[in-house]
Parts: sequence; C-alpha cells; structure tokens
Amino acid sequence: MMAGSGLRFLVLILVVAICGAASVFQPISDSHRSAAVDVFVPVDGSYKSLEEAYEALKTLELLGIDKKSDLSSATCENVVKVLGSSSSTLKDAFYALSVNGILKCKTGEAVLKDIVSQLQAGVKGAKSLLDFYYSVRGLVLVKEQFSGTDLSLGDAEAIFRSIKTLSQTDGRWRYSSNNAESSTFAAGLAFETLAGVISLAPSEIDQSLIQTLKTGIQKLFDSIQKYDDGTFYFDEKSVDATQGPISTTASVIRGLTSFAASESSELNLPGDKIVGLAKFLLGVGIPGDAKDFFNQIDALACLEDNRFSVPLILSLPSTVISLTKKEPLKVKVSTVLGSKAPALSVKLAQALSSRSKDSSVINSQELKFDADSATYFLDSFPKNFDVGKYTFVFEIMLDDSANEKVYITEAQTKVPIAATGVISIENAEIAVLDSDIGSVESQKKLDLTKDGAVSLLANHLQKLRLSFQLTTPLGHVFKPHQAFFKLKHESQVEHIFLVKTSAKKSELVLDFLGLVEKLYYLSGKYEIQLTIGDSSMENSLLSNIGHIELDLPERPEKAPRPPVQSTEPYSRYGPKAEISHIFRIPEKLPAKQLSLVFLGLIVLPFIGFLIGLMRLGVNIKSFPSSAGSAIPALLFHGGIAAVLLLYVLFWWKLDLFTTLKGVSLLGVFLLFVGHRTLSQLAAASNKLKSA
Amino acid sequence: MMILSRSVALISLFLLPLLTFSFSVDNPTDRRVLVLLDDLSLKSSHSIFFNTLKSRGFDLDFKLAEDPKLALQRYGQYLYDGLIIFAPSTERLGGSLDSKSIADFVDSGRDLILSADTSASDLIRGIATECGVDFDEDSSAMVIDHTSFSASDVDGDHTLIAADDLVKSDVILGKAKIEAPVLFRGVAHSLNPTNNLVLKVLSASPSAYSANPSSKLSSPPQLTGSAISLVSVMQARNNARVVISGSLQLFSDRLIRSGVQKAGSPNQYEKSGNEQFVTELSKWVFHERGHLKAGSLVHHRVGETDEPAIYRIKDDLEFSVEIYEWSGKSWEPYVANDVQVQFYMMSPYVLKTLSTDKKGLFHTSFKVPDVYGVFQFKVEYEKLGYTTLSLSKQIPVRPYRHNEYERFIPTAYPYYGACFTTMAGFFVFSFVYLYHK
Repeated sequence: MMAGSGLRFLVLILVVAICGAASVFQPISDSHRSAAVDVFVPVDGSYKSLEEAYEALKTLELLGIDKKSDLSSATCENVVKVLGSSSSTLKDAFYALSVNGILKCKTGEAVLKDIVSQLQAGVKGAKSLLDFYYSVRGLVLVKEQFSGTDLSLGDAEAIFRSIKTLSQTDGRWRYSSNNAESSTFAAGLAFETLAGVISLAPSEIDQSLIQTLKTGIQKLFDSIQKYDDGTFYFDEKSVDATQGPISTTASVIRGLTSFAASESSELNLPGDKIVGLAKFLLGVGIPGDAKDFFNQIDALACLEDNRFSVPLILSLPSTVISLTKKEPLKVKVSTVLGSKAPALSVKLAQALSSRSKDSSVINSQELKFDADSATYFLDSFPKNFDVGKYTFVFEIMLDDSANEKVYITEAQTKVPIAATGVISIENAEIAVLDSDIGSVESQKKLDLTKDGAVSLLANHLQKLRLSFQLTTPLGHVFKPHQAFFKLKHESQVEHIFLVKTSAKKSELVLDFLGLVEKLYYLSGKYEIQLTIGDSSMENSLLSNIGHIELDLPERPEKAPRPPVQSTEPYSRYGPKAEISHIFRIPEKLPAKQLSLVFLGLIVLPFIGFLIGLMRLGVNIKSFPSSAGSAIPALLFHGGIAAVLLLYVLFWWKLDLFTTLKGVSLLGVFLLFVGHRTLSQLAAASNKLKSA
Repeated sequence: MMILSRSVALISLFLLPLLTFSFSVDNPTDRRVLVLLDDLSLKSSHSIFFNTLKSRGFDLDFKLAEDPKLALQRYGQYLYDGLIIFAPSTERLGGSLDSKSIADFVDSGRDLILSADTSASDLIRGIATECGVDFDEDSSAMVIDHTSFSASDVDGDHTLIAADDLVKSDVILGKAKIEAPVLFRGVAHSLNPTNNLVLKVLSASPSAYSANPSSKLSSPPQLTGSAISLVSVMQARNNARVVISGSLQLFSDRLIRSGVQKAGSPNQYEKSGNEQFVTELSKWVFHERGHLKAGSLVHHRVGETDEPAIYRIKDDLEFSVEIYEWSGKSWEPYVANDVQVQFYMMSPYVLKTLSTDKKGLFHTSFKVPDVYGVFQFKVEYEKLGYTTLSLSKQIPVRPYRHNEYERFIPTAYPYYGACFTTMAGFFVFSFVYLYHK
C-alpha cells in the first residue's frame, strides 16, 4: 500500500521536477491569474454550490481579480436563502457565511440571530470534528462580519477538551471518536477549529492545553514528507484517502496559520520545512482542477501572511546566461504570491562548474539591486567564466534584523545555470587518404556554413579524415555533446559516427576497409552530414557537407543485407494508375464496296447462264398440260421454290432449328409430289419411246 | 463497501444493453473512455486536454493504473470504447489488465492513446511494440535538439523541443494549419519499418538525437535525425486507431499554455501548438473524423436501372457507390477525387477513378472487357488517415451467344451471292431439264 502511494508521488515529483525547471520555483504570476479565470468559470452566472462559489471567489480575491460584481446577485440570493432557512446544514451555513464574508451580501439582523443560535446549538451537539469545525468556524465568521453580536460559547475549555480527545499521539487527528483512522487533513481542520475556540473564548484557555497542542504540532512535523529537491509536503497515510497531498498540505497550513494568529505565544516551526512547503505548493505549477487551485492559492496566501514565518522565494527569470549577448544574470526575491520582499541583499556565494566540482569560479559576490524592476543582477562575470554548466549558490541576507523574525529564507539556494556562447569552428578539413602510405589523396577545406560544397571519391582501400577545431570564447578546447558524422546512402541506409575530441582538435578517421561490412558493401553515392551541437553552444549547426562516391567490393553471399527502410507514408497511399482493358482488335475486312463489286461479279455467271439458255432456245413445252399431271408438277416446283426460299430466310432471319423443321416438312411433301411428277414424266417419255 | 459494489454491479447490469448501443457502425465516435493514470494529480495537471474531451461529450472514467478493480470487459462486453494510458512509469496494471488484454482491446476495433515519458516502464514499451513503435532502449535517453529547441527551455539542456515537422494530412490534424510549433519533452521512438500501418505524425528535426543529456556519449545514439518520431499513430486493419506519444507533458496544461519561440527563429507565438495538436489528434483517434462508410455498390447497363444477373462482354455499364464521412455528429457526403473501382478477375482488368457529384455519390461508366469469367467490382480505398474501405461484388461475364454475332457481314456477300445465284440457277435449270422439248 505504502509502496503504491510512494510510487504515485514519485511520479508527481517527476512531473513537478521536469515541468518546474529543476529546483527553480517561480512565485505566483500573471499566468496563474489568466489560468484562474479559465478554471473558475461559473455556469450560467453562478456556481454549483456555495462551497465552489467560496473557493472561486476566495481564489480570485487572493489573486486580485475582480469578478464579484458579475457574480454577486445570483450568489447572494443563494446565501440569503441558506442563512434564512432553519433547515440548512452546518456546512451550508458555514460556506454561506464564508461567501458572505467576501461578497458582503445584505442580510437582516433577524437572520443573524437565527444563524448564531443554530451554530451555537451545533457546537453543543457536535459529535464529529467536522461538526465542530463548521459550527466554530461559522461563529468566527459571524464575529468577523458582524461586530457586537453576542457569541457566548459557553464553556470554551470543555469544548476545547472534547475536541482535543480526537488527537492522536503521532500528531494526526481522527474525524470522530468512533472512527479509529487518523488523518493529517483532519489535523489541519482541528487546528483551525481550536484556533476558533480560542478566539471565541471569553477568558483565556489553560496554557497547558495549548502547550500539549503545540507538541502535537511538532509531532505532525516529524511525519512531514520530503522530495529530493528540498520540497516538503503533508500527505495522508492511507491510500484510499480522499484528500491528495495538495489539499492535505493546504489544510495543515491553514490550521497552523489560524492557530498562530489566535495565540499570543510564539509557535516555533522549523524554517526550512516552511520554505519547503511553499516550494511544494509552487512546484505544482498551475493546477487545472478548481479544488487544487483554491487549495494552492489559499495555502500560499496563508504562508504569505502568518505569524510564524513568511517564506521568501528566490527565482530567476532565466537560468541560461548568454555570454555573447552580455546579459546580466537576474534574480528576483519575492514572497510566494509575488509581492515585494523587504530590503535585503542577495549574495552569490559560489558558482560551481559541472566539470571541476570542487573549485568555485565566483566566490561570494554581492548582487546589485535595481529598484525599478525589483531585481538583483550580476552583470560582470570573472575572466575565467567560460561556457558550460554551473551550479550557482545564492544566499539571501535581510538588511533589517527585525525582519528576520518575520521572514524566513532558505540558507542557500542552489540553481543550475547554463552559460552559453558562440563556439568558433576553425580548420575544418576533409580528406581522403591512401591507406598504405597515409599520403593525402585529396584534401578540402570546409566551410560548414555552406551546403553541398564537397564531392569526394574513395574506394575501400582508402580512408576518410575529417577534422575541425572547436574553441570556446575563452580559447579552451570545446567538447560538444553532439558531434555526429552521418553517411547516408542513396537507398536511405544511414551510418552515424561520433567525432571524438582530443586535447587539441576533433577528428574522425574512417578506414573503409574495416567498414565495408558495416556499410553492407553498398557502393555508390553517400551524402555527408555533420552535426555539431551542445547546450552551451549558441551556434549549433547541421551541415550537409556534400557527398562521397564510394567504390566498395561486391557483396559476398553470407554478408548481412541492409535493413529494410520504411517507406514514405505519402507514397504508400494515393490513387493507383488507371487501367483500361485493351480489347481484341477485330480482324481486318475488305471495304464494303469491294465486296459489292465481287457480289456483282458473282451474279454475272448467272446472267450468262440465263442468256445462254435463251440463246440455246430452251423451252418448257413438255410441261404437262392436263390438269391431273400439271398440279403435281406445279406443286413440286413450288416445293423446290419454297425450300430455296427457306434457305434465303435461313440466311436472313431464321435459325437452324426452324429451318430444319421447315425443310423436313417440305422434304416429305417434295418426296411425294416429286415422285408423282417424275414418274408421270418417265411414263410420258416411255410412251414416246415405245411409240 | 460490499453493498455499494453490488449495487454498482446491478446498475451496470441494467445499463448493459444500453451501453452496447453506444459503439456501433452507425455512430463510430467513441463515447466511454477509460483514463489510466499513474497519479491522480495528472487529472489536474492535464485538465485542459481532459476538459476538451469532456466538452465534446466523452464520458471519461479516471482510474489509477494500479487500481486492483480495473477491468475492460464485463460478461464478455467491453465497458469502454477508448482507452487513454497516461501512466508511463506503471510496471504492472491493476486488475486483470496486461499488455495482452490491451492488445485485445485494440484488436476489437477500439482506440488507444498511449503516452510514454522518460523512464517509461517495460509494460508501456511492450504495448508500444505491439503497435509497431519501438522506444529508445536507453531508459535515461531523451530527445535532444540543439537547433530546434524552444527558447523558453529554462534548464538549458535543449530537451524542450519545438517541433513543427507535422504529417501533411488534413484528416489527422484538421483543416486549420497548426502554426505554432508543438512543444515536446520526452523520449524518442522509431517506427518498425516492416509495419506499414503506423506513421509519424510529429517528427524530430534532422539535428535531433536521443541521448541522456547529462552524460557524454560513448557510442553513436540509436536514434537520430528525422528517423526519430515524437508522436506516431497507427490505424489497424480493423480501423482501430492508436496514438503513441513519447511525451506525457505534450498533453499537459503547462505546455499547452506556454508560449513558444523556436530558438533562432523570429516568430514568437503566444501559445504553443500543443492544444490544437492534441485536440485534433484526439478527434482523429476517437473517430470524430476520417471515418468512412460506403453504401452498397450499384451497377447496371447504360440506359437501364436494374442490376443484371450477368453481363455480356463488351457491354457498357454504369457503376456507382455512395461514400459518407462521419463528422462526429452526422454522416456527411464524402468528397474526393481519388476513389477508384476495379473490375477484377485474378487481377484488375479495368481500374477507373470515380467522379463525384459532391453529394456522396461516386460514379463512372466503362465497357466490360472481352474476357469472360467471374469478375468482381472492387472498391479498395486507402487514404492517409481515413478508415479503409474494402467493398466487392461478384458478377459473371459471358461471351456472345450464337445469335449475337454480326449476321450480315458485307465481306461475305460474294459467297451469299454465289449460293443464291446457284440456287436460282438450279430452279431455272430444273424447268429446263424436265420440260425442254
């Protein structure tokens, strides 16, 4: 269970640490104000409940945003309704009074009496911590808002004691006597309630009671939780607690503030933890949740104005110093809500370089103060201050020693600083060397600001040498974090080599003989790209130097193949080329005229045949003249004509089956008529012969 | 506690038939989304992103990733349409969830937003690998870019990247151009080259590399240049969509509200492009955009209206299909000029681009090829960011019938003429032969 919650908050701090720029905490600024307007958006001119209305109004008031006039009418109506009704709960009454404290709604005297008696009854009948809290704090609100009301609490000490029974030995509190679970959130509520009891009490409360409460507070501080960057927070022990670390921390801070305010004697709280709590709340950034936002701002406002110690926050607008721009290092000191700090001086105690941990580049230098912008600045850096990463250690000293009791600062604030500058790149050369003798085949000076200036030729027996010199503004050799030499083949296969920096210069020698396997034996054109970059280098560059034509041996069978390159997504999709079917070309036919000419020629023999018959003087004189034999002859020839006509029709429109049917019918008919006709003709000719 | 959980179970039992309606073919936008966080404070620190989702009508269910009561399914029904995993450091998910059940969730056509961050756990890496995305194996590595970092990068190690190499796709990132660079701080990933369903949405610049910013490099980094993907998307074959981001902060209020100025660039923007980027991307991933629906394929002969049972070779036909795009609320006509139809038998015989009437109807006409067999009309529409349409309809094509060939071939007239004159001659001759005296 614990491990789970621990992990969760580890993540929280990761988020905080990454978002919140390591350990620089910015006080509440305008970005919070603009975000608050977005977060606390009323629905149709009012908030869902008075609790939400109070949280929104309180936050906006603390941030100095005036929105009261837009909201007061609808919300006040609600407030008056709740205060007037005798059936409203203590919680509603409490929040109504809280809202009333901000909006100053017009409530009648009669209403006031009712509500006071209701709250007093609430205190008497209270069974749980929350009942005590709402009724006592409600009475406190009445006292603040309406002076001169009778608010006798009865036996204040007895109430104090009955609340005190809920405290646990570890500093946490229980919500009610029959609930064994102790809660840190409840502790905050209890402190606030007890502070209310003290302020409402007609006579002074027994000091010993207050003293035990104070030891309880110290106990509670023993259970405070801590992150690595020096932030502290309170959290519930159990995992299914409804309150997160922000609301728990806010509750405790609220309780401590009101307790310290109600009590005359001093409350000794560890200063570093108070600063740590402030840093925790600032480190949250801008919460998107209205509840968290309220808790953050409200708790910070409590820290801003309290009787134990007001934390001062040192912040830097930028942790990057540009040596070329000669910008001064600016430091601001303000309270958590961003208001002005008292007169103080800021000292840069140490500036530790990340390279040499021990020696400090700058030792105890006081920062100058610019009253107009309320910033402390360091405008001159020592001669040996070079680019790189540093840890600056600041100390804050209050000018007025009387303020030391009111304000609290961190003993030392460590801030990571990056100093950047222009790195000069000189003597950039690229050369192809012969492997055996090391003689220079071709050497080119490089201008890294120009692209594509170089074209080289090499084979696998040669070497490529690239060298350049990087120097910092102070003339030291600079080792960049990123110095990549990239060879990119036409087939998109890439190879990256690190350019190593030695004591004098950066150099890379590529022996192609040893690299053929790594290059997958891919001959051809390689683009050369050089990238030099570092976080301290203002002129980081990416230069396409040019290309090299490599002539490598053939790839042996067993050598690894180049990896598959992913295809361009745009080419993967998109319409395909259209395909239209190519139809079979119809066979070549002669022209129609030609066919008609031949048709004419074909008809000619028939005409010749008819003419021939005429010439021969053919006749049909032996056609039977008697009706008995002429009819079968006519039928026979008619039948032949019908068959021939059927053939014509077959060509013209009929299909084979109809034609065959017709032919078979006509055939049978012809058989009989033909037989008759031919036998008559034969008989006639026999008669002639015999005669 | 017991009573509560029992009543929840009862209520959900009643709701179950209702819930199953919410994810349907007709209404593809997701409605119920499970958000897994490794810390509930993310709900507050990433509230702008979550609020845009809520305002678009999504029902977000926030759960801790280690919550022992986590479940994606109940009684074989999925309880959610979408899943957001903002739990980069979670080593083990609570309940019965593991990387396999998340892969099954995606396999069922549901959507996923996965965000890793520096020191992402093996679980998150495993889920990403299932989707074709490989995060840098070095767990301390971050994306570093010394030329296109954000000028507001306060710690000065150039890990806050101002990225502006976005995928050119209106459907994924919306019609409005994202002007301001997108701020990114996180871990690099690369795409699996053999997976062609996944693509880069936000790529790093050529000078970027993935390494631990606080230690010297001893060997060349695994991922460099534009091969680094910062945010990728994957659309599975079943149209499930997945967004994988290497940065959880990309979605955070802090970076959404932050102004941006790319180092060395004079353009300064009041607000980073993050809000627009994550909003548009979430619209895409939850199917508010780019989801296509096709009506049935309609085809008939030119001049007819009914669909024939069979085509003859060389018939002229008209083909049409209706395609609509889901706008998040309703089906709008889809307008494009690259929808194609194939007339397909083993390979496409005809492939034609359809013309649209801008009301969702795509049509064309063509001649049936002179090859007979069983063909298919195929519409296979794949476009970057859109869901894939794959429709087909089978139709046989027959050759000419015996009586459909040309009857009177002029070339053959001499032959016909020869026949008929011979027949006429025979007729005349029969008289002459029989009755000549």
